[in-house]
Amino acid sequence: MRVIKQKPMTLGERLYIFEALRGLFTTLKHAARGLFRYEELPTISYPEGQPEVRNTYRAKHRLMLRPDGTPRCVACGMCAAACPAHCIFIEATASDDPRIEKKVKRFDIDHLTCVFCGLCAEACPVDALRMDTKKISFEHRSREEFVAHLEDLTNWDPKDYPDDEQSQVAPGGTKNAEALKVWGMEVK
Amino acid sequence: MDIIESKTWIEWLITIAKFAFCFVPVLYILLLIPMERRGAGFMQDRQGPNRSYIKIPYFGKIRLLGYVQNMCDGTKLFFKEMFAPAGVNKVLYYVAPAIPFAIVFLSPCVIPWFGPMVFEWGGQMVRIPGSIIDSDVGVLLLFGFSSLSAFGAVLAGWASKSKYSFLGALRTSSMTISYEVCLGLSMMGILLLAGSFNLTDIVSWQEHHVWGIVAQPVAFFCFLIASIAETGRAPFDVAEGEPELVAGYHTEYGAMQFGLFYMGEYSHICINSFLIATLFLGGYAVPFVTTETMQAHMGGSLAILCGVLAFLALAFLHMIHRYSKKLAATNLTNRFEILREYKLYNIVAWTAVVVLVILAFFAWFFYNPQSMVIGGVAVGSLSTALGTALIHLLVLVVKSVIFCWVWIWVRWTLPRFRYDHVMSLGWKIILNIALINLVVTAVIAKLVGGN
Amino acid sequence: MSNYYNMPKLPTENSPKVEIFVDDKPVMVPGDTNLLEALKAVGIETPHVCYHPYLPVSGNCRQCLVEQEGPRGRMLVIACYTPVSPGMKIYTPASSARVKNARKATQEFMLVNHPLDCPICDKAGECTLQENYMEADQNESRMRPEYGKNYHGNPAHQFIDAKGQLRGGKHVDLGPRVLLDEERCVQCDRCVRFMRSIAGSEQLQLAGRADHTYITTFPGEKLDHEYDLCVTDVCPVGAMTAKYFRFQKRVWLLSHTPTVSMDDSLGANIWLDYADGHIYRVMPRCNPVVNRSWLSNTSRLAFQEFDKNRLPSMEVHTPAFGNGKIAIVAGGTCTLEDLAAIRMLKEKLGDRAEIFGGSLLKVGEPDGIAKSGDPVANRAGMKLLGFADVADFMKRASEFETLVTVNADLFGEDPAAAGVLEKINCRVAITPFDDATAKKATIAMGVRHWSEVQGTMVNSLNMLQKLNACPVCPDENLWAAYQVVSYMAGSKFEAAADAFKKAGEYAPVLAGLTYDAIKSTGKLLEGGEA
Repeated sequence: MRVIKQKPMTLGERLYIFEALRGLFTTLKHAARGLFRYEELPTISYPEGQPEVRNTYRAKHRLMLRPDGTPRCVACGMCAAACPAHCIFIEATASDDPRIEKKVKRFDIDHLTCVFCGLCAEACPVDALRMDTKKISFEHRSREEFVAHLEDLTNWDPKDYPDDEQSQVAPGGTKNAEALKVWGMEVK
Repeated sequence: MDIIESKTWIEWLITIAKFAFCFVPVLYILLLIPMERRGAGFMQDRQGPNRSYIKIPYFGKIRLLGYVQNMCDGTKLFFKEMFAPAGVNKVLYYVAPAIPFAIVFLSPCVIPWFGPMVFEWGGQMVRIPGSIIDSDVGVLLLFGFSSLSAFGAVLAGWASKSKYSFLGALRTSSMTISYEVCLGLSMMGILLLAGSFNLTDIVSWQEHHVWGIVAQPVAFFCFLIASIAETGRAPFDVAEGEPELVAGYHTEYGAMQFGLFYMGEYSHICINSFLIATLFLGGYAVPFVTTETMQAHMGGSLAILCGVLAFLALAFLHMIHRYSKKLAATNLTNRFEILREYKLYNIVAWTAVVVLVILAFFAWFFYNPQSMVIGGVAVGSLSTALGTALIHLLVLVVKSVIFCWVWIWVRWTLPRFRYDHVMSLGWKIILNIALINLVVTAVIAKLVGGN
Repeated sequence: MSNYYNMPKLPTENSPKVEIFVDDKPVMVPGDTNLLEALKAVGIETPHVCYHPYLPVSGNCRQCLVEQEGPRGRMLVIACYTPVSPGMKIYTPASSARVKNARKATQEFMLVNHPLDCPICDKAGECTLQENYMEADQNESRMRPEYGKNYHGNPAHQFIDAKGQLRGGKHVDLGPRVLLDEERCVQCDRCVRFMRSIAGSEQLQLAGRADHTYITTFPGEKLDHEYDLCVTDVCPVGAMTAKYFRFQKRVWLLSHTPTVSMDDSLGANIWLDYADGHIYRVMPRCNPVVNRSWLSNTSRLAFQEFDKNRLPSMEVHTPAFGNGKIAIVAGGTCTLEDLAAIRMLKEKLGDRAEIFGGSLLKVGEPDGIAKSGDPVANRAGMKLLGFADVADFMKRASEFETLVTVNADLFGEDPAAAGVLEKINCRVAITPFDDATAKKATIAMGVRHWSEVQGTMVNSLNMLQKLNACPVCPDENLWAAYQVVSYMAGSKFEAAADAFKKAGEYAPVLAGLTYDAIKSTGKLLEGGEA
């Protein structure tokens, strides 16, 4: 426990009027700045001006893709198990690729329920689920549209993630051809 | 009939025209609401409401620097459903909001809006006072009117059948009464000096001697605090303290009924600012210049007025220009829309500058009205009198707007007092200071000025 | 080749108690069993992989090591194959660092070549390796993942994966119902032992030697047996997976309802594993005297039809029974509660009504594992409540003017009987399914399926067993059969317990019993043999 002793007020402070005048001067300074230097106000006019979003910001989810364009997700359900809001719904099915066992058939994230804690992205064992899209605003006309399906989650452009090597492996990325060569190796 | 026949038709015309001044506080509401909302924004480093717009051809969305918000608010309040909670006293409930709003039209009657117009008409000297009711008990009348607004609050609180409203009404009434006393006492010093209850006389005393704020600084200070408290605004808004009483006496009111209370509050501010400006800041008097001097150089005075306005327009243009430059460099998606809107302001302001400069030029060189002597007094023409009245009115408006700003400024700076603090400040401090000030003033006045 | 001679002896209530010393503390344990079971009986869990209480002990995993004081000092022995002897001194990891270390080393050795498939493995969540790992301090692997694993199983199934590493066969088709993942296999040979000793059809074998060992079928043969899905149960890891449940649901999302399979008069104890209103799988529930931990494919896969072809709910009403004789036929899946309600209806209708029970299907032979072969699950219960056999009814069918069938699909079971039955004018079918009888009926009323009701049944061993309701009913407004029948009889049973009480009035052996008195493994009724 910490005891904080308050400084006793001086006479000038107890008189209130001088402190009040000091406060009035402060607000006057700010008001004058707003009036005469309107452009220097720190406000961002939101829908027209977008705030800067950091890479680490937990925004809308996306599913990473393999070089051949299939989602990396193996439908293990770790994200759904980690999700504290129970907003992830996964159905699995057997994969057509003999080298891969399980693939995802349905992957729904209900963004109305999601709390954007990022535990799902943490839990993902194959780095398939990420929250780095920087999409911070969700506006839709019905509740159903807030549920992101597999198609929405895999529909992203590698050009938006120029610094991310893993994103460039996806179709359309700069490293896709290279990765596809390794990926498309002869199945024994 | 004598009183009618004693006046010429021009006198009647101007006297009736003066009733238009009853609407000045209502117009002030339109000024004060955006001033308060955007001023508060600036003080808190926000932008304030600035997004409502009217769409016009070519220039696109016109926001009028946020002024359009006013109309939206008003329209919304006007078209909202008026409802009464169950169990209220219907008659009192509906009458209560009308009382503070009705006072708005009564109070301006005794304020002198300009100096007495003295001019020659048809070879006769015509004298028209600057206030609608040129009464010798003007100040008392004004206080009588403004005390009535407490009835609105009391009736609203009583009729709402809500404990919050009731407590709020109690607090409002007690506070209004307390600070009316302080208000009256702190004003007595200046009345003593001017030797009159007539506001026109008080102003002319200040014009020819010294402003009340110099003669009675302590009284000015007491009067300012008391009048802020009397309007019931922060830091004295204990009557509607949100954490305690939801919204005080108008908790149960919505729509335009609430709007009437709201407008009543703003016009109360307006009236009190006019009163302070009149009592302590020389009212309509132009600083350092007497009315006689001004009338003698009417053309020059008008030219200076036009010049000042032109300067303001240029300053506005400069701000617009600076902001546009900065805006064009950003990546806001609506920046071209805003720049197009500013084009309109540019056009209007440049036009105003040109017109004002031309007017100033003509006034300086070609407007030189002569006065004639009637009964040993130099009397100017009607146009001189009108010009004087215009300048007087503008000066009074500027002074009162400064005080309106003080109200807003104080509200968004100081935190709310506790109720017992408010009461002890009123009865134990302000009242005593005002009393001592009155005694000291009386003694000095007796010693220095004789009678 | 069966090796029943080293089948583990499990402790029973009648086991003699002997004193042994565990960590130098004297404890009383069952004396006629192995050390692992004895320790379990006093609450000490011993991790094990290859040991299974109903399979012959093979002792190849070495996970269940404990220390025993012997003539040559303290030695590590496997708990599963060491019989309990009075006065023996045992040391568990609680006191012995050597045991702890040995178990940890064994586990690490087992995990060396086990792939990290847990996210996509159907066994994850109920995997023995996972459980042992979580109990054994969750040691970190000392292996380098970039080198991959060394064990690749059957050379015929090896392939190179997307990362360029050599991998073993991941989904080898063993038979019509089972898939094998050779990489995950730990060679515990439980499946081999099950097929050899329990199923009695040696279809699986361990081939190869040392770290080239792998599970396989005989060349050209497939794993195909009535009990072949049991190998997926006994598999301690995810090597054997059932095709019907593959990738359907993560097991931790399933809820479990303990109940009894009503398609056989042995009444195999089962778990109904359900999630979001659907049954996803049926697992055997261990009952030492009824089905041990085995379940036939028929009972296991029957759930796939439970929610198909169902009759909808409708307003229940009492049909006009007319003046002629009435036959009420109860089907094999009728619980004791349904039977009690039918008996009540019969007593209301008086002497013109007669009650029959059973089915027209053939009665088979018991297979000695988890089936008695009799499709009428509650035949013993019908006997208790005084139901005549349905064959009796078929002989005298022409006497009756009204036929009420409860859960009995007479038309479907024997199409040849249709000619006789159709002569009965009024046919009321009370059944969950829109089956042949319901289609032919003049009135058909939908009821709840046996998986969705609470109830009791008496199996062929004369054991009273309890059914629990699984919340997967497709229509919440459906009534249970005993509710519909009792409604016709004039006083509707609101709860199954009321109906069970009524059954106690008809059968003295049930009188005074409550649901709480019936253990999860059932209650042996008087006059029955275990």
